[in-house]
Amino acid sequence: MSSPPDEIEGWLLDLYEDGERGLALWLIAADGRRLRLRQRFPVCFYAAGPAARLRELWRWLAGQPDPPRLSRQERRDLFLPAPLAVLCAECAAPAAQRALFAQTAQAFPELTYYDADVQVQIRHAAVYGSFPLARCRVTLDAQLEVRAFQTLDSPWELDPEPAPLKVLELNLREGSPLHAPPTRLELRCGAWRQDLPFLPGDAPAYWVRAALRRFDPDILLTDYGDTWLLQELLGRVKDSLAELPLNRDAEHGLRLIRQKTYFSYGQVVYRGQQVHLAGRLHIDRKNAMLWGDYGLEGVLENARVTALPIQTAARVSPGSGISCMQMITALRQGILVPWRKQQVEQPRPLLNLIHADFGGLVYQPRVGLHRDVAAADFTSMYPAVIVRCNLSPEKQAISLDDPPAADPGLIPQTLAPLIQKRVLLKKRAAQLPGWDPRRTQDKARAAAQKWLLVVCFGYMGYRNARFGLISAHEAVTAGGREALMRAKEAAEDEGFEVLHLFVDALWVQKAGCCAPQHFQGLLEEITRRTGLPIALDGVYRWVAFLPSRVDARVPVGNRYFGVFQDGTLKVRGLAARRRDTPAWVARAQIALIEQLAKAPDAACLGEYVPGALELLRAELRRLREGRVELEDLLVAARLGKPLDKYKSASPAARAAAQLRPYGVEAQAGQRLPLIYVRGPERVWAWDRPQAFDRRWVDVAFYRRLLLRAASDVFQPFGLSERDLALRMEGNAALLSLPASGNLQAQ
Amino acid sequence: MGRTLPSITQSLSEEQAAYARFRRALRRADQLALDELFVAARQHLAAAAYAANALPMETFLLAMLLEEHKETARLRALLEGLLERRGSE
Repeated sequence: MSSPPDEIEGWLLDLYEDGERGLALWLIAADGRRLRLRQRFPVCFYAAGPAARLRELWRWLAGQPDPPRLSRQERRDLFLPAPLAVLCAECAAPAAQRALFAQTAQAFPELTYYDADVQVQIRHAAVYGSFPLARCRVTLDAQLEVRAFQTLDSPWELDPEPAPLKVLELNLREGSPLHAPPTRLELRCGAWRQDLPFLPGDAPAYWVRAALRRFDPDILLTDYGDTWLLQELLGRVKDSLAELPLNRDAEHGLRLIRQKTYFSYGQVVYRGQQVHLAGRLHIDRKNAMLWGDYGLEGVLENARVTALPIQTAARVSPGSGISCMQMITALRQGILVPWRKQQVEQPRPLLNLIHADFGGLVYQPRVGLHRDVAAADFTSMYPAVIVRCNLSPEKQAISLDDPPAADPGLIPQTLAPLIQKRVLLKKRAAQLPGWDPRRTQDKARAAAQKWLLVVCFGYMGYRNARFGLISAHEAVTAGGREALMRAKEAAEDEGFEVLHLFVDALWVQKAGCCAPQHFQGLLEEITRRTGLPIALDGVYRWVAFLPSRVDARVPVGNRYFGVFQDGTLKVRGLAARRRDTPAWVARAQIALIEQLAKAPDAACLGEYVPGALELLRAELRRLREGRVELEDLLVAARLGKPLDKYKSASPAARAAAQLRPYGVEAQAGQRLPLIYVRGPERVWAWDRPQAFDRRWVDVAFYRRLLLRAASDVFQPFGLSERDLALRMEGNAALLSLPASGNLQAQ
Repeated sequence: MGRTLPSITQSLSEEQAAYARFRRALRRADQLALDELFVAARQHLAAAAYAANALPMETFLLAMLLEEHKETARLRALLEGLLERRGSE
């Protein structure tokens, strides 16, 4: 006799396929227990096509050894006006569905399939409203089989009850193990910390095992765990998973996802190998997406709102996240999720293309130094346009003048709660005092949401996006341009001078306006004219828009730096912002701007130029005397294509070729740390095993790099790169500072 | 991800390149003046993009004219100011 059902509340940590039994669910119970539950979870896929072929498919499926439950249904394809007759095949478990569908697609390749490859976590989210770390109530039988599942909170909750997560960190503080084998391993769990020597042999693996036993962590947070550490540790014990139980779930092994290279937004991108655990979560800081931007808090938020498993959410691009959110909306409304998108762009007149197919507006700023400038930008402009104009493949778009849509389409429905949550979090973070820990948390969460919102627009135009449509994508940019035009007109009508417009942001100036409240009326007017929220980014004490490097007469859209009234800097398009700039150059460039930022007012900016020049001279002296750390001279150069495809080798290609004899095969898209040296090779791959002699550093090259970066900072003061070079050679007396004509900030 | 149309910056570069033979035959001083005209067109790339004219060179010519007109107006104002000052002396 089985005991009566047990009701437990807790947090859902993870869920995944569990063979024939359906799903494995990991629950952190309110009393602290970590429970592995099972849940039966039948899933369906659908097929559409000519009636005769569907009948054949029916007979074929019915004849399978473990036949699915078959039925005829009518469902909605978002891209078709009328409901569609489909054959529904319901399988007892997700694993069975995947296997059966693979065979079906091979046997009947010409049919159209739906809901065929939706991840099990997304299906679960659609049925139960679940998501990682959701507070939930489950009813269990004696075998820990879930009888009922209820989600108690929603991903849109601003302050969900935090799950009591235990995090064990495995830290390699010395940098990439591919460069030099680490000598220390730091284990850390809350206040407990051990700094151990990374000895040869199995000792490090056993230390990790001891820590796993002691703390039984929910999350294993590592440095290089995906690409090196975990496999290295496992390789050091004989019966790897039994002796080093990284998984909590003994019935599942590690899940390895191979490294890959792909092409995205005009760039070749490399993603390292991934190691996923079962029953515990592994996150490799060095292989996680945008870790530097939002950290663990952002990863967890990303998982909550997209319903992707935390280990996946940490590693996939925001595009996958937004696509999952759309699928959940579709599944909940009984809209079919296409397996492979069938939609292709229709032929259309060239003039139509010329009028529709272009991006955001980028103006040419007024080059030079300007004081008391307000920068304002539309909050999540493109997503806001999507919601405001009801842009969705199945809907007729409305204009910015129309009242809000009564029946929002699939895409606006998906985005609206996310935008709303982000706006609320941002507002709250701005009001909280600096010491409040929620401020940092809210900022990290808003940053994670930002990336989802950023990509949702691009995803509409992606040919493989399941709910994308190129004309909806074009309508978004058209809406954005219209909104920016209205903002410009509003500013000019109110007597402001528009210094610059950039896609969703504008920079304005008016005599006598120097405090945030002076611009409030304008912002309200813009919101009135566009129906979109706009917020003040800040008021600049001064801002410098830089011209093109090629022709100083030509302004460019996105190269500027400035100081807000509270002293914070904003730098765009300068060397310091580029990922392939050595840390030393980036820091020195920022230090120069910080020196100028000390000026309390733009009028006395000129007085701070000599100090900045002195700083530059000191940095160059440090370089000459070999006092700059070698690590700070490293350039992370991206290998743009496979090494063998290069005709004339780029610095990255030369570095990759240097690594090849040591068995290191660099992949396209991978960033290779290298240092510039004298001699024919010009570069030295940092991960070469030989010791590096600092006398090899190409000092003249790094000097040029810094002078170039510095010339951007001094450009508004009339000092060119050549002038700077002369000054740094001690001929300062020959060159007096240019008359302050240029400094007269307009 | 690809582009179906050249960007407005590309269009301007192409138009400028198309006049390479014209430029080559000009005297050096005129070449520099021509270059300045193209720089003037560059000041209004955003507006030219927004206009989305099928023949972008028309818009570029208008942008050049616009900058010329602004310069004329500036010089006229300057001259009138000078004349006024001389008149009052």
